[in-house]
Amino acid sequence: MPFISKIQRQSDYRSFPPNHPIVIDNGGSYFRIGWAGESEPRVIFRNIIQRPRHKITGETITVVGDHDPALLKYFDCTRSGPRSAFDSNVVYQFEIMEYILDFGLDRLGADQSQINHPVLITECLCNPVQSRSKMAELLFETYGVPSVAFGVDAAFSYKYNQQLGICSGDGLAICTGFNTSHVIPFLNGEPVYEACCRTNVGGYHITDYLKQLLSLKYPHHMSHLTWEKVEDLKMEHCYIAKDYASEVHLFQKGDKEAEEKTRSWQLPWTPTPVEEAPSEEEVARKAALKEKQGQRLREMAEAKRFNRINDLENEIRDLEMLLQRLRNASEHDILSILAKTVHTSQQEVESALLKATQSLRKAKGEPVENVEKLDPSSVDRYNLISIPDEMLTPEQIKQKRKQVFIKSTSEARQQKKQKQLEEEMERERQKKLEEERRLENPEQYLEELRAKHRDLSEKVEQRKRFKTNGGQTNGNDNGSGGVGRGERLNSSQRERMRLLTTAAFDRGKEEDTFGAKDEDWQLYKLMSRDNDDDDDDKPDPDEAELARVSSRLQEIDPTFFKPEVGSSSAEAPRFRPLTKEDFQIILGVERFRCPEILFNPNLIGIDQAGMDEMVGVSLRRLPPKGRGVEDRMTESILLTGGSCLFPGMRERLEGGIRMIRPSGTPIKIVRSSDPILDAWRGASAYASAMQFPQQTFTKMDYYEKGEDWLRSYRPRYTI
Amino acid sequence: MEPEVVEAEMVLPTHMWFKKMQTYDKYPKGQARVRWKQLKQIIPAENYQNYPHEEPNYVNIETPPSMHPCRRICDITGYEAPYVDPRTKLRYANAEVFKMIRSLPNDYVQRYLALRNAAVVLR
Repeated sequence: MPFISKIQRQSDYRSFPPNHPIVIDNGGSYFRIGWAGESEPRVIFRNIIQRPRHKITGETITVVGDHDPALLKYFDCTRSGPRSAFDSNVVYQFEIMEYILDFGLDRLGADQSQINHPVLITECLCNPVQSRSKMAELLFETYGVPSVAFGVDAAFSYKYNQQLGICSGDGLAICTGFNTSHVIPFLNGEPVYEACCRTNVGGYHITDYLKQLLSLKYPHHMSHLTWEKVEDLKMEHCYIAKDYASEVHLFQKGDKEAEEKTRSWQLPWTPTPVEEAPSEEEVARKAALKEKQGQRLREMAEAKRFNRINDLENEIRDLEMLLQRLRNASEHDILSILAKTVHTSQQEVESALLKATQSLRKAKGEPVENVEKLDPSSVDRYNLISIPDEMLTPEQIKQKRKQVFIKSTSEARQQKKQKQLEEEMERERQKKLEEERRLENPEQYLEELRAKHRDLSEKVEQRKRFKTNGGQTNGNDNGSGGVGRGERLNSSQRERMRLLTTAAFDRGKEEDTFGAKDEDWQLYKLMSRDNDDDDDDKPDPDEAELARVSSRLQEIDPTFFKPEVGSSSAEAPRFRPLTKEDFQIILGVERFRCPEILFNPNLIGIDQAGMDEMVGVSLRRLPPKGRGVEDRMTESILLTGGSCLFPGMRERLEGGIRMIRPSGTPIKIVRSSDPILDAWRGASAYASAMQFPQQTFTKMDYYEKGEDWLRSYRPRYTI
Repeated sequence: MEPEVVEAEMVLPTHMWFKKMQTYDKYPKGQARVRWKQLKQIIPAENYQNYPHEEPNYVNIETPPSMHPCRRICDITGYEAPYVDPRTKLRYANAEVFKMIRSLPNDYVQRYLALRNAAVVLR
């Protein structure tokens, strides 16, 4: 059910005589205005205003009620949401109220210099006199209204239904409005104010609760959950559970009945286009392209190699020639020849030649002989090592050191190689052994392997937990590395904290000996943040074994599947394409959880009794005591106000009232003929009565009698 | 102003023939806005304590707190909630929900608490 607004401008304003009253139902959600004696209000609109700025001209305008949202695109509404003149159910913002009255009267067709009609306007029960006098002032001063009457909407609704014969003169009106809910007892057709009660829960709270719940449940669809839409959802789907506990139990079990009660709202969703598998020729084309590129790269590399070989050959030729000349030349000439080159001695030329030859071989792809092995002068290379230092020149000592270093490193390399070889062999041997065992009894082997895997993975898991939780496994492994609110520190973090606090607060009386020993300074190392996970870099033998076992299992066990590592399972949904289900808003428990606040305002933190208990409170407050009166009251309970439209309301209320009343109490709950419009209709009938003018007061009355009189102003509803 | 906006008459005219005093005269532009008293300020100003307490007024017609034990429901699912998480103070129905609330970011926890007016309000 969408919002029902009627904002056509009326044209017959002038046809009403000056004393014909205008009737206004100034409700929390809707403003209704019309002529006394008519059955329908002429103009209905939401009791809100918006004051956006025009995007181009920048002028602030006033928009009253709800309009086509498409037209609001010309305005910048970011800084002004819809505003209401109400705080709870009391009008307090009379500037807004004035705009609303302007709009209402304008649409009613008012076109004379002032409003020449008495006005009957509704207000809340026991309206604070401040609000009442401001409203009267506004009507008298700004609109020039001759006389004004105030009345309570629920009372008009009850009177109207009494006239229809739906309820009797003695009874209770239960009115659940937009901001508040009231229970008003009636005796002989007059409301008993001292026995009324009000709980500050209404339709607004239900919609707000639903909106909050849904936007918490579906944070991605927040933009779809506008107030208007949620209000629609509420009116369409919400109902009142006969017994909340059993109803919710139904959903908790999740059986078929609950499924049937679940509603889902499909948001607009366009499936992401499925990527088509590339056609064969496409694949071929791509392969060819790749091949071509590879070919080009290969060619380039080949050319480069060819160039390098050429260069190296030239160099070798030059060097050989140089060497030839050097050999043939005399001692004297050598220097002059060398002066022309970059080399300084014959040996250097020789070594350069050797180097070039080796590079050439490498470039040509011939196997490079291992220099170390081939080197015949290996003994010769380390010739200085065995000679004691005393017999050497400083130059030689330097060389000796170099030789020692080279020798030890090469030996270490050899040893490492040897060790690796041995390990490889050992592994090979073990593998063979295992394979044999497997072949011997495959079943048992597999079982053993599985058990081993289980043990190992448990061990590794436990260690991980221990690390994050410092030994206390409270089962809260939420994987967040940061230390957030109330998060427990792991053992090393705790130790660090302890050190920091002792360091900060250690003001011992004895002499400060810190720093006397070198170990003292180790403390800073322990305190530093880098100390946190220092054992991480060491590989864990268990983990390595686990990896080996699981890979082995993967090889031979078809049923084995490797558990996902770490957070990959959490990341998975991100890559999942969004489906239709992701764009559904599911209303399950929310359907009755939200209206439940009418009966349990505690659910939204309002510490007041719910609707069923309110009836008991009202009956207790009633001045004439006795079963007789109370029974008469419960025999005529009228439900009115927009929030009583929820299905199941009557049954739930009856059950609730039966619980607080003595057994055998006659209970009759009726819904008013039209819970939304009855208040206006009742007021309209009231204003058209002959005695209505006696219930109004004029501007003169207002200024003569003063505020105290206005405070105790109460119309008689039976006229 | 765009023609369709003008045609829909959604913009309230600033000048109304039927008014004795126009809004723009009452609340002139550029002047300090009228601070309307909120209900919270209106009620103390009503001085209800000066009147006999059996006389009905806006405050004393309020319904007292419920006599029934407070219904505790799971803040997330709405199920009956036998447990309270000591860390977040959220009520929860079962282990599944508990797992979920432990992974909730803090602002969501606060928003759930705010639903029943139990959030920590920092001033």
